[in-house]
Amino acid sequence: MKKLLTGNEAIAEGIIESGVEVVCGYPGTPSTEVIINLIPKAKDLDIRVDWDINEKVALEIAAGAAWAGKKAIVTMKMSGVNVAADSLCSIAYSGFTGSMVVYVADDPGTSAGMTEQDSRHYARLMIMPMLDASNQQEALDFTKNAFNLSKKIGGPLFLRLTSDVAHAASDVQFEENISKDKDNPFFKRDVAKYSKAKASFCMNQHQEALNRLEKARDIVDSELEIDKVRYGGKSGVIVSGSPWMNLQEAISEYNLDISWLKLGMVYPFSQEKILSFLDKMDKILILEELDPFIEEETLKIIGQYGKKIKVMGKFDNTLPKIGNYSFSIIKKALETFLGIKLGSEMSKEIVEKAKSLEVSRPSSFCTGCPHRGTYYALNQAIKQLKYKKEDIIVSGDIGCSFLGANPPFNSCWSEVAMGASIGIAQGLKLTGIKKPIIATLGDGTFFHSGIAPLINAVYHNIPLTVIILDNGWTAQTGFEENPGTVDLYEGKKNKKIELIDVVKACGVKNVFLTDPYQYKDTLEVLKEAIKYKGVSVVISRRECALQASKRKVSLPKYTVNIEKCIGCRKCIKELACPAMSFSFSKENKKGVMQITSACFGCGLCKNICPTGAIEVIADED
Amino acid sequence: MKTDFYFVGLGGQGIIKLSEIIAHYGMEIGEKVKFYKEVGLAQRGGSAHGEVRIGDVFGSRIPPFSADVMVGMEFSETLKAIEFLKPGGVVILNDHKIYPIDMMSETEKYPKDEDIINLLNRQKVKLIQIKAAEIAEEIKFPKAENIILLGVLAEIISLDKVVLIKVLKQHVPGRFIEQNLIAFDKGVDIAKNSVVK
Repeated sequence: MKKLLTGNEAIAEGIIESGVEVVCGYPGTPSTEVIINLIPKAKDLDIRVDWDINEKVALEIAAGAAWAGKKAIVTMKMSGVNVAADSLCSIAYSGFTGSMVVYVADDPGTSAGMTEQDSRHYARLMIMPMLDASNQQEALDFTKNAFNLSKKIGGPLFLRLTSDVAHAASDVQFEENISKDKDNPFFKRDVAKYSKAKASFCMNQHQEALNRLEKARDIVDSELEIDKVRYGGKSGVIVSGSPWMNLQEAISEYNLDISWLKLGMVYPFSQEKILSFLDKMDKILILEELDPFIEEETLKIIGQYGKKIKVMGKFDNTLPKIGNYSFSIIKKALETFLGIKLGSEMSKEIVEKAKSLEVSRPSSFCTGCPHRGTYYALNQAIKQLKYKKEDIIVSGDIGCSFLGANPPFNSCWSEVAMGASIGIAQGLKLTGIKKPIIATLGDGTFFHSGIAPLINAVYHNIPLTVIILDNGWTAQTGFEENPGTVDLYEGKKNKKIELIDVVKACGVKNVFLTDPYQYKDTLEVLKEAIKYKGVSVVISRRECALQASKRKVSLPKYTVNIEKCIGCRKCIKELACPAMSFSFSKENKKGVMQITSACFGCGLCKNICPTGAIEVIADED
Repeated sequence: MKTDFYFVGLGGQGIIKLSEIIAHYGMEIGEKVKFYKEVGLAQRGGSAHGEVRIGDVFGSRIPPFSADVMVGMEFSETLKAIEFLKPGGVVILNDHKIYPIDMMSETEKYPKDEDIINLLNRQKVKLIQIKAAEIAEEIKFPKAENIILLGVLAEIISLDKVVLIKVLKQHVPGRFIEQNLIAFDKGVDIAKNSVVK
């Protein structure tokens, strides 16, 4: 059977075929769709699939299941591994009787923002084997292999994709039989294995983890077809990840006579395979996105065995350390490597001309986005409190709330990591900055990592205003639920947690609740909160408009009264609402302002129009 | 043999749906398929594009100079696909302009029609211009711009319409099948009567 699957869908398929019983994770592009694809199937499969509060907790849940002898997977984007790292290191030392896979999606070329972190380094740090899939078929096959390996070695494995594999689709061969494990959960008490209470425990576990690495390498080398090799000419490429696909395309397109060794297991290294490949080659090109990880390991082997062979890659600047590797980049590297010209070049002038004419489309808030109201009111509050905008630091955070950094709001100054807005704001304040400091973050981000820094601010009495833009969803990654999500999920047993209660329990005395669709109220609340000398928290609450639309929430829409409109465009310039449109016509020299059918009905624009030309449509049906 | 399709437009226009239908068409005719979609913040009106590769290829992204067919749903977004066009390839250009906010507040200018057309002509492509938005209004189904273009595409490059309609039916909500079929036929008709430059 064949299906068109993305890398993430293929992993979901691999999870089903492997009979995994516990699936945990935290949403993060480009990893999110694994769980999104499994949620609707969870009931039929009778498995646990859900979003957890953050990556560390998700990982601990998966590990607990593996300690009880079960199969578990945890999914996250590269930044999530940083969050989970503390527990992961300890768990990787201990191992388990079941099996556990940590799926991490790296994002060379930053399709979704954030760092270009190369998570392969974690494999070395955590003493864990890592499989790195080059295409969607491998994503499925490696998922199944990873569970088998994890069980055999008794420890966790990383499974890594990059965005080009995770988000692209291809025809994938799959099986319909699902392996089911019928064993009862059993966790054997063994403090020498599952605790770090004695030095001897820790050192023994360290040794065990190193043994597991070797065992994984032996199994891969003797039993599995995870690494692949093709011999041709004496120019050889050592490659991993998605560049393997473009390499094969170039070989086929230009009829190249080169050899390649494709590493599916990127850690630990097979010295044997690399040595036998090197022995047959005159020169080597190392083709891998991001850091020179394989290149370093290869150079180590060359050094250790005193080989004399030319190695090209990142250390000699043949290839860049940043971005994803397009066909063009790989083609250029092969030209340098082989010293020949491949194919014809496109006219640079046409491409440059096209680029110069391109229309830039800055990302703004969606129509009806409640964050628009919050940031507009925040800017107005700063003005009315007689501060200059450039004097008030707004420490931003991950997610949709950070779109407040874009024009026309230009509110947020910085973005670090989940929940970091509140910590960074405290550090800035402690330097003696007298003017108010504000932190803005979404509800999902607050639940993920905002609670500890908020407690810290209260505990140390560091004055700041935290604005939680509570739209009820973990919206930016694709509308996942979080503990504050409105109770929409039919058949779900999840319990809603009231954000106000959490904030109060952190010790915050000044907690305000406002609706960002009510401009004047929100403005007054923000002014009061900013004036307060201690820690104040404003919860600006209104459901994400896209989610509300899906639930058929319908508000009265707005229209422009052309008689009253003077064509000043204050509304469009200050709000950048995608439902607004402005055009000139022969009949109307001052221009025609329109609100299109995309209007959600937030009503913010009516507060801004200097002539009162924006009116509610009375008989909306 | 391979055919590379490059679809470009804006989030909300249905460009990804259009790519998806072609990708599944490839599966249905038993070929190897690669399908890449760039969405990002596209549902918020940003640039969106899809790449479908049918036949013997490896990479999921279309190399420069390689796209046999390009469908541009928004006029200026077409510029983003120019470097991928194969000389002699087919370009179906939807004459629909959507201005970003900073153009409506007059801080930027939208590129001139002739500048874009000139660049396409210099790539020596076969160009078909369609006003799909107007046709969609005519048939009172404004959301069907993408399916009208699918009809045009099917006719111009001779896709198997029976297979394509089967796939189309699987990829639109049941209650809209009839309207989508009307839109598809309308696209086929227009293509039959249109001039390829």
